[in-house]
Amino acid sequence: MTSRAHMAEIFMRGLYPLLLIASVVILFRGHNAPGGGFIGGLMAVAASASYALVFNATNALNRLPCAPVRLAGIGILLALLSGVPAISQGLPYLTHPWWTINLFQVELAASTVMLFDLGVYLAVWGTIGGSCLLLIHSIEGEA
Amino acid sequence: MDNPEQNQTSKKGPDSTLFHLAIPTLLFSCLVWWLFYQPLPWSFQIAWVPSLNIGFSVFVDGLSAQFLLMISGIGCLVFLYGTGYLAGHKKANHVFLLLLLFMLAMIGAVVSDNLIVLFVFWELTSVLSFLLVGFNHEEENNRKSAQQAMLITGSGGLCLLLGCILLGQIAGTYSIQLLIARAPLFINDPRLFWALGFVFIGAFTKSAQFPFHFWLPNAMAAPTPVSAYLHSATMVKLGIYLLARLDPAFSDLFFWEVSLITVGIFTAVIAAIQTIYERDLKRILAWSTIATLGTLVMLVGMPGEGAALATAALFFAHALYKAPLFFVAGNLDHGAGTRQIDCLTGMRRYMPWTATAAFFAAISMAGLPLTFGFVAKDIINLAKSQANLLQLVSYAAFFVNVVSVAVAAIAAIHIFWGQDTIPRKAQPHEANLRMLFPPLVLAATGLLFGLRPALIDPLLGLAAQSMAPGLDPNKVDLSYDAIPVIEATFGTLALGLFTYLRWDWLHNKFNRLQAIQKRGPESWYNAVLETLPLVAVRSTRVFQNGMLPRYLLTLIATVAALLATLLAASGLNWQWPEMESLPFPVLGASMVIAAGALATFRVSDHLILLLVGGMVGYGSALLFLFTGAPDLALTQFVVETIFVVVVAAVLVKLRSFRNETAKVPPEKRFRPLHFLVAASFGSVFVILCLLVSALPFDPALTDFYGARSLLDANGRNVVNIILVDFRALDTLGEISVLGFGLLAAYPLLKQIREKRR
Repeated sequence: MTSRAHMAEIFMRGLYPLLLIASVVILFRGHNAPGGGFIGGLMAVAASASYALVFNATNALNRLPCAPVRLAGIGILLALLSGVPAISQGLPYLTHPWWTINLFQVELAASTVMLFDLGVYLAVWGTIGGSCLLLIHSIEGEA
Repeated sequence: MDNPEQNQTSKKGPDSTLFHLAIPTLLFSCLVWWLFYQPLPWSFQIAWVPSLNIGFSVFVDGLSAQFLLMISGIGCLVFLYGTGYLAGHKKANHVFLLLLLFMLAMIGAVVSDNLIVLFVFWELTSVLSFLLVGFNHEEENNRKSAQQAMLITGSGGLCLLLGCILLGQIAGTYSIQLLIARAPLFINDPRLFWALGFVFIGAFTKSAQFPFHFWLPNAMAAPTPVSAYLHSATMVKLGIYLLARLDPAFSDLFFWEVSLITVGIFTAVIAAIQTIYERDLKRILAWSTIATLGTLVMLVGMPGEGAALATAALFFAHALYKAPLFFVAGNLDHGAGTRQIDCLTGMRRYMPWTATAAFFAAISMAGLPLTFGFVAKDIINLAKSQANLLQLVSYAAFFVNVVSVAVAAIAAIHIFWGQDTIPRKAQPHEANLRMLFPPLVLAATGLLFGLRPALIDPLLGLAAQSMAPGLDPNKVDLSYDAIPVIEATFGTLALGLFTYLRWDWLHNKFNRLQAIQKRGPESWYNAVLETLPLVAVRSTRVFQNGMLPRYLLTLIATVAALLATLLAASGLNWQWPEMESLPFPVLGASMVIAAGALATFRVSDHLILLLVGGMVGYGSALLFLFTGAPDLALTQFVVETIFVVVVAAVLVKLRSFRNETAKVPPEKRFRPLHFLVAASFGSVFVILCLLVSALPFDPALTDFYGARSLLDANGRNVVNIILVDFRALDTLGEISVLGFGLLAAYPLLKQIREKRR
């Protein structure tokens, strides 16, 4: 292994968590500033894809929270369920009610919309990231 | 099917008989009880697809009631017969389930007042017919027949849908009753020709009219109860039912009258000729069924109230004599092991009760006095004399009647009387009670209504009134004076008996017609069926040639051509946008895009080409950023990055995978076709952009979301709010589609990997 490739690996090891943290920040600030579940999810996909480029797809797949199909499934399920609380309040499905939560003397605004956005994030990561990684994986030799 | 031993074992006989009979009998008795108390017509309505103006509206008048009685009444007997015929068969339950579903679909079709709902039930009966004909699907013959029935009635069904939609658009309603009421308003609409033409094709395929008639005799591959029920008593009459339903609206149309009379009588004659050509009793009955169906179509087409009454009477008479004859054919199949009329004589010794049923059904079919067939024949003759028919049509109808008398004689005399001289392996035996009761009951009912026509007067009157609203059902009187009718039908009877006596001679004569039959509609059907795969193979070779650059070329050329046509059709009122001085960043971003695009010409290495292509993407992202779309810019950056990274990863792995092949230098030469396609695609898009920028910008949406997003959804990022709140359901749909995409790609990618190992 050349030293340049070695450097790339060390670099990537540090970059991967940073990219993921950035993607989560983008996910949650999306409500008021540029960002959101879709872009955040794509950022996470970019992190996984870069990881696969530097190491290999098998390693990148192992770094995912769970198998891609399951990840996508959890995301879609989360988005589906996030519309349910609205029904119990007599609102149409997928209306997002807001609450204020008092947590350790800090007023926090919370809403099912965050769950929905998180669902989108996971679904995008699972499907697009999953297909990209599997594509690279399919043409890789024995890893 | 042909195993008589199965008939003897009745392991779970009585119990399952009751079980199978329960629903049809219940339906039939409820119906009879209901008809006694309920004044017709009766209707109710449930909204079903209000946005398409389709309601599940039920309308039961005399015609529907008549069909309901035939469907449920004969249905009961068919179920009873089936428990005997299919006793011990391993897939008997399967048949009963399909028969029951068929029965419900038929009921749905004849009570529906909405054309689209009627169509849905109509198609259901086609599908169930397919399943029932192909019941014995291990036989290639059965599969072919089932496929034929499905393809013909199915494509006819599509034409019917087209016709129904056209009719609905012309009339402004899908309700049949409203359509009839509004008919005078649109009777001169030129589109009506096409609408009715398509409805005709649908009805003719279903009711086996020329040139679609050939599927019906082939459908005789089905078990006998199925043939008796679907292909004689009910389903094949559905097409005629629809025509009869629409008759009050269009009977004054010349086109209506001429088409129905011509097609009907032509079919009847063709079928009568074919009847003589057959040796298999079931197929003989099938062809004579087609002849009757042709006569019915002709009667529907004939104007006047007499014709309406005749149609109703023939519906009934045919059900009462043809179904028992089919049952008789099934009994012979079971008892003697064959349906070939050459191998069947003198059966009355072994099967006296079957012979009795055959005799009574046959005299009704021949139209002898004291039977309901006689009553029907009387009314038909009356109707014919009232309507001014061409002489030719009358002769043709006479010929058809002669053949039907001959068929009746074959079924009743040839098979059961005379000496049994044919050597056979096993002694023929009588069928069991469950297979004797249905034909006897039906034949006896025919006799009852023949002796006492007044019993059926009100029902037939009401049914005829549905076809000819001017008719007063209370004045209908089916009683007849026998002597003049006998005189009128004497010629038919005599000639029919003569035909019967010379049947074999005629058969040999008609054998010469085989050459004509070989060029008939069935051969057209076969030719189409043989050509289809060839066309598919050729077109696949042309379009699916496996060369990705070719696909891309076709795709881009198609899009360019479509867009160019659309642009040309819309009128090209484009204009150059006003050239303001562009801000420096925007100009810079545009330069990046242009530089990337130009550079692709000069680069030949795939990896570098990819990076250069990425420049275009990043340049667009910059452009979005500077023109005030940060979300779009961010997405574009990330998407471009992912694309470059993933494709680079793939290219790198591929390159290491096949080191040698990658060394081949890529082709570099000018290709005029590709240049032309690329240039036209580019120009079309430039024009499109100019057109769009020429339109005034409508700020309504931007203003709405800008104003509401913080108020309604507590957020300042309008793009994200639209995605997750205002249009959350769309987003949910999109991520579900993504999920399905992954599910589809997963096994494919997995397979590639496994193949590599």
